[in-house]
Formats: sequence, C-alpha cells, structure tokens
Amino acid sequence: MTPLSMRGDNLRFQLLALALLVLLAGSYNASAADTPRIATVDWTIAETLLALGVTPVGVAQTDAYREWVGAPPLPDEVVDIGLRAQPNRELLAQLAPDRILLSPMFSTLAPSLGRIAPTDTVALYTPGSDLWTRLKSATREIAAIADHEAEADTLLAWLDAHLALLRQTLDTQDISDRPLLVVQFIDDRHVRVFGEHSLYNAVMQRLGLENAWQEETNYWGFSTVGLEALAKLDDARLVVIEPLPVGVDERLSSSALWQHLPSVRRDEVLTLPPVWSFGGAPSAARFADHLSHALIDDAKPPTHEAPDA
Amino acid sequence: MRDWISRSLPFPHFVLTPARLCSLLALVCLALSGLSLATQLPVAQWAQALFVPDEGNIDQLLTHYSWLPRWTIALLAGGALGIAGVLMQQVLRNPLAAPTTLGVATGAQLALLLATLFAPGLLILGREWVAVVGGGLAMGLVFALAWRRGLAPMVVVLAGLVVNLYLGAVSTTLILFHQEELRGLMVWGAGSLSQNSWDGVLYLLPRLAIALVLAGLMLRPLAILELDDVNARSLGVSLKHLRLMSLGLAVFITACVVSVIGIIGFIGLAAPAIVRLLGARTLPQRLLWAPVLGALLLTTTDQLLQRFSGALPTMIPTGATTAALGAPLLLWLIPRLKLGGDRPHAAPMLTAPRRRAPGRLLMALGLALAVALVASLLLGQNGEGWAWPSWAVWQATHEWRLPRTLAAAGAGTLLALAGTLIQRVTGNPMASPEVVGISGGTAIGLIVVVLFVPGVGLPMLLLAGTLSALATLGILLLINRRSGFQPERVLLTGIAITALFDPLRSIVLANGDPRTQQLLAWMSGSTYYVDTSLAIVVAASAVVLTLALQCLSRWLDLLPMGNSSARALGVNVDRARLALLGVVALLTAAATLVVGPLSFVGLLAPHMARLLGASRARAHLLAAALLGALLMVLADWLGRQWLFPQEIPAGLMSSLIGGAYFMWSLRKL
Repeated sequence: MTPLSMRGDNLRFQLLALALLVLLAGSYNASAADTPRIATVDWTIAETLLALGVTPVGVAQTDAYREWVGAPPLPDEVVDIGLRAQPNRELLAQLAPDRILLSPMFSTLAPSLGRIAPTDTVALYTPGSDLWTRLKSATREIAAIADHEAEADTLLAWLDAHLALLRQTLDTQDISDRPLLVVQFIDDRHVRVFGEHSLYNAVMQRLGLENAWQEETNYWGFSTVGLEALAKLDDARLVVIEPLPVGVDERLSSSALWQHLPSVRRDEVLTLPPVWSFGGAPSAARFADHLSHALIDDAKPPTHEAPDA
Repeated sequence: MRDWISRSLPFPHFVLTPARLCSLLALVCLALSGLSLATQLPVAQWAQALFVPDEGNIDQLLTHYSWLPRWTIALLAGGALGIAGVLMQQVLRNPLAAPTTLGVATGAQLALLLATLFAPGLLILGREWVAVVGGGLAMGLVFALAWRRGLAPMVVVLAGLVVNLYLGAVSTTLILFHQEELRGLMVWGAGSLSQNSWDGVLYLLPRLAIALVLAGLMLRPLAILELDDVNARSLGVSLKHLRLMSLGLAVFITACVVSVIGIIGFIGLAAPAIVRLLGARTLPQRLLWAPVLGALLLTTTDQLLQRFSGALPTMIPTGATTAALGAPLLLWLIPRLKLGGDRPHAAPMLTAPRRRAPGRLLMALGLALAVALVASLLLGQNGEGWAWPSWAVWQATHEWRLPRTLAAAGAGTLLALAGTLIQRVTGNPMASPEVVGISGGTAIGLIVVVLFVPGVGLPMLLLAGTLSALATLGILLLINRRSGFQPERVLLTGIAITALFDPLRSIVLANGDPRTQQLLAWMSGSTYYVDTSLAIVVAASAVVLTLALQCLSRWLDLLPMGNSSARALGVNVDRARLALLGVVALLTAAATLVVGPLSFVGLLAPHMARLLGASRARAHLLAAALLGALLMVLADWLGRQWLFPQEIPAGLMSSLIGGAYFMWSLRKL
C-alpha cells in the first residue's frame, strides 16, 4: 500500500508539513538571532516565508490570508498591516521591520516603504518566463533576504521529490487519462479556468497530467469564461477548486447546461479544497496533494471498503 | 431635426425613421445571429435543438441551453430597458433620465453585496428578490428626498444622482475590503448575458408582459406630462400619483433586468433618445419603437461581441460593451440633439436666503478648517491604540500624515472651485466636475497606463493623466463648439465621456486581475500614494487658484442670469464660458491625479456654501473652497482611523459623509 492510498489526505499532508517544519525549525533556532524581521504585503511571499521557518512580523490583510491561503497557518503574533495595496505606513514604521518585501503588483509602494526599511520586490509572475523556474528562483530570493538559504534548498528539494513521488504513485494507479480542466467558480455562469502560466498548470505538468485548457490566458495564468466554453471540451474532466461562492451549489443543480456538461454527465467532477491560486511552493505542494488524492481515490473500484474502526 | 440626420448620411433623399432604422438593424442582427448559429450547429438541426435537443449532442445542447436563452434574454432585456427609459424620460421630462439615474442599479448591486457578505441565506431564497428589494429601497429613498417638491423632475434626477453616488461609494468600500469574496458580483455588475438554462427568460418574460400592459394603460395620462406642471394640473391629473406609478413601473422593470443579467445602463438612455431624434415624437410612437430599438441594439452588440471576443483571454461583458459603444454614439448625437426650448423648461436652482455679511461665515469656516488640519495631523491610532497629540506623535508620524492632509485639503479645494464654476456657468445644481467627464477621461488614461505598462512610476502616471485630461477637454470643446458651449450640451458630453470610463472599470473588475486592488484604491479617492512634493504643489496651487479665481467673479455673477442679460451687461458669453470650462478642466485634472475621479466634494461643497447663504460669486467661491478642504481633510482623517490599520479612501469617506448631509438638506429643501 502506498502512503497515498491512505484516507484522510489532509491529515497526511499536515503530518508531512509538520515534519518539514520540525526539520526547518532546527536550523531556524540556530540562526534565529540573525533572521531579519520581515514585513510583507504579499500572501505568496508570506506563505513562502512561513514554509522556510521565518515568521514575518507583519502581513497585509491577515484575516483574508487565513481565509484564502490558509496553510501554512499564520501565527497570532503576526501584525495585520492593513490592505495589500495600502499597507499602513504609520503602523509599519512603528513595527520597524528590517526588510519589507513586495510583489511587482505593489511595486509603486517601494519608494515610500523604502523610507521605513530596505524594500525588495520579488516577482513570481513574469510574462514570458517559465512559472516553475520563477517559483524556485523567487523562493531562493526570499530565502536569501531572510537569511534562510539552506532551508530554501531543503524546501525546493522536498517539493521536487514530493511531486516526483506523487507522479510515480499516479503512474502506478489506474487513473483516467482524460485531460483536466481546473476551474474556480465566479458565479453560477462564469468560471476562472487555469491554463498556461498558472501555478496549477505548472504542478500538473510536474505530475504528468494534461491540462485541457490550451487557450490564451492572462498575466496570472487564467481565463474568465462562461460555462458554455467548457461544454465544447468533450474529453476534459472538470476539477473544481473550492470555495464555491454562496448559492452556486444550489443554482448549479438547477442549471441545465451544467447538468449536461460532459464531465458532469459522466459524474466524474473532482472537487478540491481551497488552495491559493497565485501561491508559491507551499501552495504548489498542497495542490499536488489534493489533486493526486482526488484522482487516486476516484480511480479505486467503487466496492472499496471503509477502513476498520 | 430629421433633416440633420439625413443631411449627414450619404443618401440625401433618404429619410431615416425609427421604423427604417429598426428594420436595418434587424437585418444586421438576424444576419449576425444566423451566421453565429450556423457555425454552432448545422441548419438542419436548428428546429430539433430549439424544441427537443438530442441529449447526446453537445452542440445541440449548447444551442438549446446557452445560445438561444442568451439571444432571447438579450432581446427581452434590451426591450425592457427601452420601455423603462421612455417612461423615465417622459416622467422626468429629461432626455438624460435613464434606468440607472434613479439609483436602482446601484441599489440592487449593494443589496446583493450585503447579502453575499452578511446574509448569504437570502441569496438561496433568490438573488432577484434581493436585487428588487435593494433597487426598490434606493428608489424609495430617491422619492422620499423629492417628495416635498411634488416629485419635480429636476429634484428627482438630482436625488437619484446623489443616491447613486452614495450607494456606489458604499459598494466600492465593500469591494475594497472583500475583493476575493465578491468576484461573482463583479461579473454581474458588468452585465454578462451568458445563460445556461431558460430560467432567466422564464423569469423575465411574464414580468415584462405585465409591465407592458400597465404601461399601455397609463399611455393617455402620461401623454399629458408633455405639458408643464401648471397646465397638466389644470387638466385634473394628479401629478404626484402619476409620476409615482410610472416611475415605480420603470424601476420594477429595471430591477427585474438587473437582477437577472446585471447592469446594462446605456440602452435605456440611448434607445428612447434615438427614436425621438428620428422623429418618434408622440408617446405611443416612442413606447413602440424604443423597446424595439433597445432589443435590437443589445442583441446586435452581443452578437458582435461573441463573434470577435472569443479569442481574447479577457471576458468582455456585454453590459459594459453597450456602454462603451453607446458613449461615442451619444457624443455623435449631442450636437444633433434638441435640448430644452421645445417644451416648457423649469429648472429651479437650489437657493437659500442670501446672507448680508458672508465675512462671518468665511471666518467660521476658516477656523473649522484650521482645527481639522491640526486634529488630522496630531490625533490618531498606532499599534497600541489611540495616541494623544504630542510632540512625539508629530515626530513619529508627520512624514506620513502631512502629505496626505495637505493633499486632501488641496484636492478638496480644487474640486470645490471646479464645482462652483461649473454650477454657476451652467446654472445647473446637478453639475459637478465628475459630470463634465474630465475626471472620467483622466481616469481612463491612467487605467490604460497602469494595465499595459507594468511597474509604471508616478511621473509617467502624472504625464498620462494630464494628457488624457487635455484630450478630454479637447473632445468637449470640439463637440460643443458649434452650439456655443450651451450648458446642457456640455453636461451631456461630459456624461457620455464618463460613460466611457464605467465600462472600462467594469471590464477590469470583472476579470479579477489582482492588480485591480491598487486601481480600485485610486479610483475611490485615496491620498495614500501622494508624496510630499506633490502634496505641496497641490496645496499651493489650491491657495493660489482660490485667490486668482476672484478675478472671474464678475463673469460668475452675470452668467447665471442668462445669455441675453449677460451679453447686455457686456460679457462675451462664448469666450467667458470657454475660459471657465478650461479652468474647470485643469482644476479637475489636478485634483483627479491626487485623489482619483470620485469627486463628490465638487458637487457638495458649492451646494453647502450656497445653502449656508454664500450666494454672490466671490463669497460662494471662497466658502466652497474652505468647505471643500474641510470636507476632504475630515474624510481623509476618518478614513484612516475608522478601520485602523485598514484605510478607507478619502474620496469614499467624503461621499459617505457628504452624501448623507446632502440628502438630508435636499429633503428639507
């Protein structure tokens, strides 16, 4: 029995993450004195820092981080520094971090935040470059700033090994070879469908899974389309990333078009727990776990017995 | 007027009538629809797809559950908005009245936002009912505000506009803080027609049928509204009830459409205006042709859009597109539109008893501004809670607070001056820099630059903003030169230009580009991005311009008296208007660059000044400038402290405070 065929994928992932954190914590203690106090407005940078074992002193919109990114969990002592596009400078100045990290989206903040602390911009999404390469170099850039380079190597090596393991496991299982269509619902008529340049797409490539969405995508790797655009992809299998907006579940059950989508008719839609769509290494690992699990659980014969109590 | 149109067409003897235009458009629409359907499904299968689609054939299913409902709902919604527009324009006797002018669309949107965030259970009962209730409440508020004046057209439109701005500000605040949760409403807000069952059509159809019957019943009494109030009353028509009923009907129609497919505003304005221009003079004619034209306009736009937008990764909602296409059409129409003059025109200017000595008022306002400035700089929260004024607080925070306070005061002053000028020049209490379109024009330029030039810096943004403000001014002047800068036409041009800005914003929001947060913050009027040098420039120019504009007070005193009186007193009316408009444009552009296009202060400050008794131009300008600065400084401070450490932009805050005050004073008018 491979570890993946166990039930309770969340629990298993949490154990893995915990192991990783313990591993990192060892080196964290060693270098804690030198670790700069970092504040960031970007959730992807925040999750990467946490995965590297660095607790940022301030993160923008901490409540929304907990809701939309979720893992790695944000410790309570992290100060909410306000909106992502407008971090509160009076509060930041009072916090007096050693470094401030931004993503290019908020780079117009750099000159004014630079008066509080040295401010760096770490780009994860850059048009024309391979997202996976960027993800790795961005993780290393963040680690270099946080003085946690060794941890970045560990994290990225673990990520590669983990994805390779998942891919191996998927290869041994009898999963369907339909291309996947990864969507997030906007309302009951529209979805974001993720294609080239998206985190989900990069992970699927590493897992040897085919993405059914080959249309052009925007800067962030998704297209906003109506449901009817999905109906034409006969072969594709739908993967829905939660959360569903309020009421969409009910309305879909009465939507004739949804009921007639090839995937829905074949009753093979996969639903995955929330993962930050524009995330970094931790989100990539989580998405890979969720997706592989869903695929493998689904591939099992329907007569599968529940584990003994 | 018909001659105007035919003269500008290539065939001099061909007279375009509503019927001819509609037939032409119907042909285009049918051809486009046929082509689109043919690429979707072989012609032989059309009948089958319509009635009993083959469950195994995805093309037939798509046709049956997506293409056909979308086509039908476009026709229905376009027609419905046409009817609503005719009713509103008839009742309000205002060619600019439209379903969105009464705050119905924003009211419905706000209700849905609130339900999504705080009572999601209501949405499961039915989104449409939530939207209808929200739209109805907004309309009720408008009516309540205009009730004392017997729902007089001018006051209704004014109240509608204010309620619109107010609810819009509340919605924007919610969106700013809950961007991820509210994605769906962004798409809906932009008016996407895409359907995936017949539910929407089945919802809309019976409601519209009932509305149409009711409109037919009200045809005769409504026609009497062509006359002015006194004449209509003498014919024994209860104006209040008639207006209330027909407006209520129009709002119901709008709310139904809005709840199903979102905000598609322009059709309701354009269809009635175009058929009237083409010679549909009587009410029955307009009630017949406006819905037909509205239906065809919306369906044709939607067909074109589906044809050409398929390849783009960006979703372009139809509602936003009709607005984008409609704006140039409106700009083309304006020089040809007959405004005022043809029917009795009574636009009561908001007035209040004139004060003998405005000096005391100005002193009080100046004192209040000084107190507000000091409080804004020294009083605020930090990580531990409230910090009382002290030298330490000043040292720790002036680097951040000073530029923002100065910029807020400066921008408030500039907007107040611009508002005062434009209200006096046009003699129209509805006028504000925002309505003239310069804010919108500047905003368009800035959005385009932010979206297409990654990582752009402030100097580049300043340049882009200034250029687009000047371009907007150019368009304004070009279109209005022939009419000698008649006030109503200038306003109308401004609204059309602003209408270009809205769809752009909707498209950006609907696509959920994560960069929208920053745009949204700027669009809602935040002083966050202001640096010290910019703040000093803005504040200094505000002071200088306030003083310099005193020289123009003679023009400002004489122009509201009317063209002939002003001319008789030796004013070159055209040149004076041109010069004043230029000043308005520059004032607005400067303020927009600092605090975004949301300029409620430009509408509010001149009004408050007038209500406080500053009626002569000199006192009016000074009082408005002080009030504008005071309002913006207060708004900026409150916005920074209310939800600390998160910030509500000053523009939004000033709309929230100012709007409430304004509605209150409107009620007791």
